[in-house]
Amino acid sequence: MKHNTPEHRSDEPIYWLLFGAGGMVLGMIFPAVLILLIVAGIMQPDLNEGLLSFAHVKSMLGNWLSSLAIFVCVSLAAWHCMHRIFHSLHDLRLPATKLAWFALYGAAACITFVALGLQFLIYCKLF
Amino acid sequence: MSEKSFRKPYNPPIEATWWAKNPFYFRYMLREGTSFAATFAVFEILLGIFLFALSNLDAPIQTAKTAAPYLWWVQSFLGNPIVIVINIAVLAACLFHAVTWFSLMPKAVRVFMNKNSTDRLPDYVTIIGLYIAAAVGTVVVLGAAFLSLP
Repeated sequence: MKHNTPEHRSDEPIYWLLFGAGGMVLGMIFPAVLILLIVAGIMQPDLNEGLLSFAHVKSMLGNWLSSLAIFVCVSLAAWHCMHRIFHSLHDLRLPATKLAWFALYGAAACITFVALGLQFLIYCKLF
Repeated sequence: MSEKSFRKPYNPPIEATWWAKNPFYFRYMLREGTSFAATFAVFEILLGIFLFALSNLDAPIQTAKTAAPYLWWVQSFLGNPIVIVINIAVLAACLFHAVTWFSLMPKAVRVFMNKNSTDRLPDYVTIIGLYIAAAVGTVVVLGAAFLSLP
């Protein structure tokens, strides 16, 4: 087997970068995001008033900067989780096959593109 | 491979519960399990975005009817006691992930004192820096959310 030739370069660094960035997002941003979700669940916001009310989320997703921030955080966290679930398959004594690789990394790619598509659609509608 | 391999490695049988017996391995698997918890949070947020997109965004005046899909997510789904309990567990998992992630960072990233030396920056400097960054991130997210309240 040839390694490290242009034809046999590993694609692992890309996924490792996404994994590393996702780990930072999960450690630094997600605790605050979960606090928001819990508080919103307890406070029961309605259409126009309260945390994560319809109008609040409309202003969040209608602003390109905050919408982009939400997209980056969610998709990086997805890549991080799927990378780690793939690597814990071996620890759970499950076969870490190429099929599992495609299923899990494909799920992360799906989450990324679904979030991008939905948020772009919402942004265009609210523009 | 050009030649046939006659290697027959012995793979000792390992049960799927190998990690349950030793507290060190148990903590390792608990840490790996935080990725499942975070996956729940990702799908939860994605569901919220999806249901917001399903709401009638073109309506000139929003009513509880035009925003029904989103209001179901924020009131019935996030407000469900089971989901609140799961969210608190996911928050605990995220904090556990953050603590372990920050303390392994000096082992993964080597920071040198300057470019002419091989002296490493002390581990605690990196770790304290990451905790400060996490605190700033938390303050920014909570501040942005509460200051943008309509």
